[in-house]
Amino acid sequence: MNAPTAQSTTTLESLSTVSMTKSFGGVTAVDGATVTFREGKVNGLIGPNGSGKTTFFNCVTGMIKPDSGEVRYRGRSITRKSPDRVARAGIGRSFQLCRVFPRMTVMENLLVAVRNTSIRQQLRSAHDPDELERARGWLRRVGIDHLEHAEARNLSYGQQKLLELAGVLMGDPDTIMLDEPAGGVNPALIGRIATLVRELNEEGKTFIIVEHNMEMVMSLCDHVVVFDRGRQIAEGAPEIIQQDPRVLEAYLGV
Amino acid sequence: MPSVSSREPIATETVVVAPPAPRKRPAAKWVKLALIVVGAALILSFPTIAPNPYILSAGVVILNYAVLSTGWNFMGGFTGYISLGHAAFFGLGAYGTALLIKYLALPGFVAWIIAAVLVALIAIPIGFAALRVRGASFVIVSIAFVLIMLLVFQSWREVTGGSEGLVVPRPFPGMLRPEHHRVFFYLFVLLLAVSLVVWWIIDRSKFGTALKSIREDEDKAQSLGVPTDRYKLIAYMLSALFVALGGGLYALWFGDLDPIFQFSILIGSYMVLMALLGGVRNLFGPLLGAVVVGVALEYFKLEFGDTQFHLIATGILLGIVVLFMPDGIIPAVKSLLTRSSNEASIREVTAGELLEQNDKRTADASTQERSS
Repeated sequence: MNAPTAQSTTTLESLSTVSMTKSFGGVTAVDGATVTFREGKVNGLIGPNGSGKTTFFNCVTGMIKPDSGEVRYRGRSITRKSPDRVARAGIGRSFQLCRVFPRMTVMENLLVAVRNTSIRQQLRSAHDPDELERARGWLRRVGIDHLEHAEARNLSYGQQKLLELAGVLMGDPDTIMLDEPAGGVNPALIGRIATLVRELNEEGKTFIIVEHNMEMVMSLCDHVVVFDRGRQIAEGAPEIIQQDPRVLEAYLGV
Repeated sequence: MPSVSSREPIATETVVVAPPAPRKRPAAKWVKLALIVVGAALILSFPTIAPNPYILSAGVVILNYAVLSTGWNFMGGFTGYISLGHAAFFGLGAYGTALLIKYLALPGFVAWIIAAVLVALIAIPIGFAALRVRGASFVIVSIAFVLIMLLVFQSWREVTGGSEGLVVPRPFPGMLRPEHHRVFFYLFVLLLAVSLVVWWIIDRSKFGTALKSIREDEDKAQSLGVPTDRYKLIAYMLSALFVALGGGLYALWFGDLDPIFQFSILIGSYMVLMALLGGVRNLFGPLLGAVVVGVALEYFKLEFGDTQFHLIATGILLGIVVLFMPDGIIPAVKSLLTRSSNEASIREVTAGELLEQNDKRTADASTQERSS
């Protein structure tokens, strides 16, 4: 590892796990993973197929309860918290196979995100003018504002990916976890998504991205964590990761 | 590129090109309002129009169905959890009211309200257990619940009277039968109005949007911060409350309870059928469904007497709805009226065009930045 630069000493701890383990029957998908992501950075999480990345994602966001170990976010434990509490703590996520609400309009999809669960807030009209304006802002940002009234199921896969991202952003998360943002979309759209990530990161959002598209990972990420067999085998800047013999071995089996 | 299905060719992308925004037609709003006014006038004048007490009592039964079905729709419509066992809340509301009058000598309408609140509280542990499972499993659990209730109320003779039935003391002892029907007709109208207003308030609220997102994709909703467990339970309680109010009012009106009717799968199925028929996403869907199914049931019972033909007819009706109007009558009629005008145009866009759009966007963004 290269010596920490002046910048990396000032970076805070964002999301981290300590010896997190999750088994399904006899298969240990996540095996004592101890990982620290960097606040304010675009973090990449890579690894061969079946290395436990998505299970790791699901454990961190509460969709699956880990068998043991700890998940911490900004100094507080969020281990075993329900997914909605993790979300309201400021962690937004997308899904590997993009998920939107198919029979709701694009606008309604954006109005789902819950930040405040007080009864007064919840009984207010969903079509609050401020919220609508905020939603339109995000739709413009991802470039699908012209589809506001369309039902989400009528959108193309790429457009649904953009919609999912806008929906996550409506929850105003500090940290955004994307599971294969480039999966299944054409190169032009990958470019648009990468640009968005970069811009949002400059505005202060932390990203944690699982991705197989190496070109995207290497160009986009500041910090990369490499997974193999359910645990971290390497971490560091993308240029360094590319040279790491352990990474090459995991990927190529040399 | 990762392993992704072949649905996404690199060269082209299916893009929805700006569909026409739903045209703001003030006329549609007036038509809707007019329909509501006419519907309300028809319902309110029914006791005056009804030629005889028998028809009037059939009207009360249908209104009772409308209350039950609208109550069911708090759960089934918003969250998509299809309960076939809501008759349990109908029965508990009815028996609760009767037993509170009988054993605590409470005035009829006080017993009615207290019983419904108690049923809503009972719904908490039931919902806590039942709402852990989704889809078909939830349907089975809900059926088990009503069957257990049936057994309990049949066997617990000392308290419930078992299969002998239970006579409910009348709230208006001296009242003649036609007058009695009339009063209860308006009481059911009032209860229906309250449940519709509450449904409407939820439908347009943030809470309602959250419930609907649960219907669409529960895990996704939760990942966006929706406290799904709590919200489902609240919807379940509200649903139980209104169905129990419907049951209690039925008990006060009809005056005689039998477990086999109060806790029947059939009553639960009617609630589902009526809501589906009218349209579960619409405020007035269950009401419309209750009128159609209720009138049909009464007609078949009248014409074919003691045969089970009304059940066959109900089955056929359910089949027709599922096959031809999966979303119910109201959406089917709506889309028939707007079919020509409201279709989203879908066309193929080449990667080139998409890149062009991208460039334009970037250019737009940078000019905006410069200007700001």
